Amino acid sequence: MSRSPRWSPLLALCATAALVFAACGGAASPSPSAAGSQAASQPPASVPAFDQVSYPEDGSSACGTEGYKGQIGSIKAVDAKTVEFALCAPDAAFLSKIAFTSVAIQDADYLEETGGGGEALFRNPVGTGPYKLKAWTSGSDISLETFADYWGDPPKTPNAVIRWSTEAAQRLVELTSGNVDGIDNPGADDFDAIGANPDLKLFPRTALNVMYLGMNNTKTYWDNDKVRQAIAMGIDRQRIVDTFYPPGSSVATHFTPCDIPFGCTGEEWHKFDAAAAKALLAEAGYPDGFTTKIHLRALPRSYIATPVDVATDVQDQLKKNLNITAEIDVQDDTTYLATASRGELDGIYILGWGADYPDVTNFLDVFFGVGADEGFGKKWDDITAPLTEGGQSADKAVREAAYTTANNLIKQHVPMVPISHGGSATVFKADVEGAHSSPLGNEGLFAMKAGDRDQIVWLQGGEPGGLYCADETDGEALRVCEQIMEPLYSYEIGGTDPLPSLAETCEPNADSSLWTCTLREGVKFHNGATLDSLDVLTTFAVQWDAEHPLHVGREGLFEYWGYLFAGLLNPPPPAP
Amino acid sequence: MTRFIIRRLILSIPVLIGIVFLVFALARIIPGDPCVAALGERANAATCARYSAEHGLDKAIIPGVFRVDGRLEIRLTEAPATLVDNQFVIYIQDIAAGEFGVSSKFGLPVTDLLIQRLPTTVELTLYALTFAIIAGVSLGIISAYRRNSIADVFTMLIANIGVSTPVFVLGLVLAYVFAVTFKDTPFALPPSGRLTAGVSVTPLAEAWGLEGLGGPFRAILDFLSNIYTFNALVTLNFSLLADTVRHMLLPALALGTIPLAIIARMTRSSLLDELGLDYIRTARAKGLRDRSVVMRHGFRNAMLPIVTVIGLQLGGLFGGAVLTETIFNLAGVGRAVTEAIGARDYAVIQGFTLVIAVGFVIVNLLVDLSYAYLDPRVRLG
Amino acid sequence: MTVTTPPAMELIEGDLRGSRTTSIWRDTLGNLLRQRNAVIGGAILAFFVVVAVFADVIASYDPNAILISSERGAKKLAAPCIHALGCAAAQPEHYFGIDGNVRDVFSRVVHGTRVSLRIGFLTVGFAIVIGGLIGALAGYAGGKIDNFLMRIMDVLLAFPSLLLAIAIVTVLGSGLLNAQLAIGVVAIPVYARIMRGSVLSIRERDFVTASRALGESSYGLLGRRIIPNALTPLIVQGTLGIAAAVLDVAALSFLGLGAQPPQAEWGSMIGLARNTIFAAPHLVIFPGVALALTVLAFNLLGDGLRDALDPRLNR
Repeated sequence: MSRSPRWSPLLALCATAALVFAACGGAASPSPSAAGSQAASQPPASVPAFDQVSYPEDGSSACGTEGYKGQIGSIKAVDAKTVEFALCAPDAAFLSKIAFTSVAIQDADYLEETGGGGEALFRNPVGTGPYKLKAWTSGSDISLETFADYWGDPPKTPNAVIRWSTEAAQRLVELTSGNVDGIDNPGADDFDAIGANPDLKLFPRTALNVMYLGMNNTKTYWDNDKVRQAIAMGIDRQRIVDTFYPPGSSVATHFTPCDIPFGCTGEEWHKFDAAAAKALLAEAGYPDGFTTKIHLRALPRSYIATPVDVATDVQDQLKKNLNITAEIDVQDDTTYLATASRGELDGIYILGWGADYPDVTNFLDVFFGVGADEGFGKKWDDITAPLTEGGQSADKAVREAAYTTANNLIKQHVPMVPISHGGSATVFKADVEGAHSSPLGNEGLFAMKAGDRDQIVWLQGGEPGGLYCADETDGEALRVCEQIMEPLYSYEIGGTDPLPSLAETCEPNADSSLWTCTLREGVKFHNGATLDSLDVLTTFAVQWDAEHPLHVGREGLFEYWGYLFAGLLNPPPPAP
Repeated sequence: MTRFIIRRLILSIPVLIGIVFLVFALARIIPGDPCVAALGERANAATCARYSAEHGLDKAIIPGVFRVDGRLEIRLTEAPATLVDNQFVIYIQDIAAGEFGVSSKFGLPVTDLLIQRLPTTVELTLYALTFAIIAGVSLGIISAYRRNSIADVFTMLIANIGVSTPVFVLGLVLAYVFAVTFKDTPFALPPSGRLTAGVSVTPLAEAWGLEGLGGPFRAILDFLSNIYTFNALVTLNFSLLADTVRHMLLPALALGTIPLAIIARMTRSSLLDELGLDYIRTARAKGLRDRSVVMRHGFRNAMLPIVTVIGLQLGGLFGGAVLTETIFNLAGVGRAVTEAIGARDYAVIQGFTLVIAVGFVIVNLLVDLSYAYLDPRVRLG
Repeated sequence: MTVTTPPAMELIEGDLRGSRTTSIWRDTLGNLLRQRNAVIGGAILAFFVVVAVFADVIASYDPNAILISSERGAKKLAAPCIHALGCAAAQPEHYFGIDGNVRDVFSRVVHGTRVSLRIGFLTVGFAIVIGGLIGALAGYAGGKIDNFLMRIMDVLLAFPSLLLAIAIVTVLGSGLLNAQLAIGVVAIPVYARIMRGSVLSIRERDFVTASRALGESSYGLLGRRIIPNALTPLIVQGTLGIAAAVLDVAALSFLGLGAQPPQAEWGSMIGLARNTIFAAPHLVIFPGVALALTVLAFNLLGDGLRDALDPRLNR
């Protein structure tokens, strides 16, 4: 809608102002509003009306097209401040998914400038966040400074420095010697010492992960249901958690941690009963036990801090409780996952999983759903069916029923034995206000005030590979991205609830298959550009469409897209 | 002399060629997939196939030998087709062009990574060696001067304890003692890193307005600029100097104990050699004071083998700094290679190891030449 | 690591070799006992050998026994408890404390002595044998073969030893045997050089021509002149090499590439305990001290041997 300009002085002033804003902010223009109070800020006739853009470009939906397995049908930039996401099936977890750091909004022009990949993009990220990147000294540290034009509250501490060390003891020494303000993942055995130190404060992290003993049901011994059930009952899981896990960890009653909705519906896991387990093993045909292996890798993860120690204990328990002789086989850190997921491990293997986004589909579907890998051998159809049902319904009652069924069947079939949910923590100097830990590992440094110092120094476990978070998989990179970039919704500080961020709201339609997001006004990028719906569209399209010219990235893998929205548009043909 | 130099240079060539081969072979024999190393739990067959194609890893390693899924596969039928189109040929071509490729772990060119990491190791090595020389030579002199006395045994014991204590234990203990026990005292020293958080270093190119400079000169300038001690001295930035020295003290101490023992031993035996010679006896007989005999006459001549040993230790310290760099969280070359081995980052493994090995050969060459120059018997004979 | 190299070093080694014959042993022992270094080193070593031999008797527990269920009051990471020194009688006695898997640290350190001594002798023995063969062949054959073999040795020496060892172990797979193999391979060039030097120095002597003229065979020459001549520097370097080998295998184990769980090896014990150094320093201190003392013993002994065997230092 256009209006003829009226040359009253007030209007002239507003027109000039609008021209200036339009010049700075690109194609965006204030959306026409019926409210009378808006009448003064009329766009001058020279700014073009917004052209609707959708992806796929011809306006069609990707759902149902051949070979497409994804959840998104189409994305439409309705006007400068509104974006519509049409999904192929109702998705109750949509808000949780768009709050994930990999879909933080990038500047479309910057993506074009850098060709969607390359060193410039992943060493010099441009976001809308409260901090912006000042310098990244490779191998040493990343320093951030306040972004003056941030739309919200400025960061509580003007500067931030992020360092890293892979050794837990070293991190603690740095903290106790006063060189840093906060650290990630202290050693499990140091919790008591930290608690006793009045200068430090410990923030336990809810454990959104699981550690399990995997078994491939196509291999000898594990193809026998009774053997697997014997293992399920024959391990004293409490002993493992008490001995090797830090406070805040818990024995797994279900595969999914209970903090995740629908994670703990259904019966709890088998109780430890060595005698019954031994009897079951005898029934299975192995009254004297058998010989097998325990496979693991020595790399500490969020779900297991000391894998070797745990494996040694499992070995001891198998021998004492079930007379099973297991040889410990420490595999190479990098080949282990591929070997496990291809189902090549003959014995019991120790592995785990950490949540990407806080929904039960990110646990159960990954391992027991239709798309799961060969790790546990053949899938159970009676488990995959309710999982598919639960993932597609937005109805709480339907989901509850589906996941109860699924959990009970998992308990019955014993594809694996869940052992623990590994707690961890962050530790900060006592004078850091607003210090916290995030269950998703997304601590917000911008919300912390480091006493009266003008910089806050955070020491994490590793260096980011790159900061183009659409193409990163490492939590260490994602956390840094969190300070610099923002998605449409963000997880609340220290929690898992998605709250509006760059979007003022994202409203679903009746069955949650169409989501309409309204963007916030006046949001600027670190390079001065203004946020509009094209930026949102491009951010998503670039990751979604494998044939998009800007689908380049750092690794070129865009791994998280698959976990969030199931499939790429125009995926490359599968490997021969 | 010239003939000696030329001969040594020619002898170095086959060694360098051998190094080039061995580096490639070692890197590629390592089992495992860089894609899996990069992606961790999220790796799967489809994405890794794409990754391999993008990084040229699906080409033959040498004609007929491929790597599939982290394991070696031999397909002799494809040998003729892959005679030239294989990773080894590409590797040689790259080296000839002075290119080391791009790191799969960092996405940066290996030369850039070298310019960032090598200075750290060089600085650490120099500090460690300085400490080792000062302490080692002193201990050696005391030992030689009072041969087989309690002092002798004691000083040699100290030197040996240093080299016997594993550097990973020594480093941990030192870090704890100086960072935590001495916290808030003037003796406190930082337990890791090169600089205090927030301290920034101005690259020399910026400080001297040479940002437009490119090519190898810029590379050398950046390299020198990353040796923070040099940078601080040249730009007269004394706070940077102080910060760098404070951070280098503990790692230098931990790493330096290794060459210290060898230098001490060498000083002692070499000095004893000299002190037993006729001319020393003559000097003593003439009534010269013992101390001046030892220091002025004996020591100077004994320096020769000591200098040699120092030079040799310099080369060995480079790679051996791996553990020190891990304990003190220094982003140096040794640690970079170890991490690259873990991440199957072939470009870094090859590039860095090649540079280290070649550097070692050059250092040895220089040591040989200096020895030849300093020892008149070799020079003239 | 005591890796030494090229021509310059050869000159130094040459100086120290002297021209001893086979009747050195009696003199050597006398000299040796006069070197206080060697005496101390020898004493420490003897102590460890005794511990290693009688490990089963000395250790109070099975080194791999997990005590959670079998012993009351056994707590993970418990500090050392010695009843004679005041520890409560109700607490189970563990001289060196308890580790992260609830095992007795003292027993593990004691059994680790066996492992470390074995590592030292096997690794260096392997390197001496292979290196000696290569060096003897190179020195004896001379010419192109000598050149070729020595260039290969130079290539090996050009690599930072620990990195090369890490690479070899990554290729072969982790494990104590592979770690020893890797360290052994990395150590070969040093002994090859020594043997070669010895062969060369003997070849040029008059008595070789004389012996030959008298009909002595090549093997006889090898056995009665060359090897004994090389023995001295080989023993000295070997003793020092054992010290280095024990440290290097410990370093590999520390990095997770050497001894595998649940084996009680000092380096691997320290490596697994390094992140609990604040909560349980005893897990690092005791194996660390044991390691340091053993290596020290070999270093002192090697130093003493060198002094004892060198003609010019005995005035």
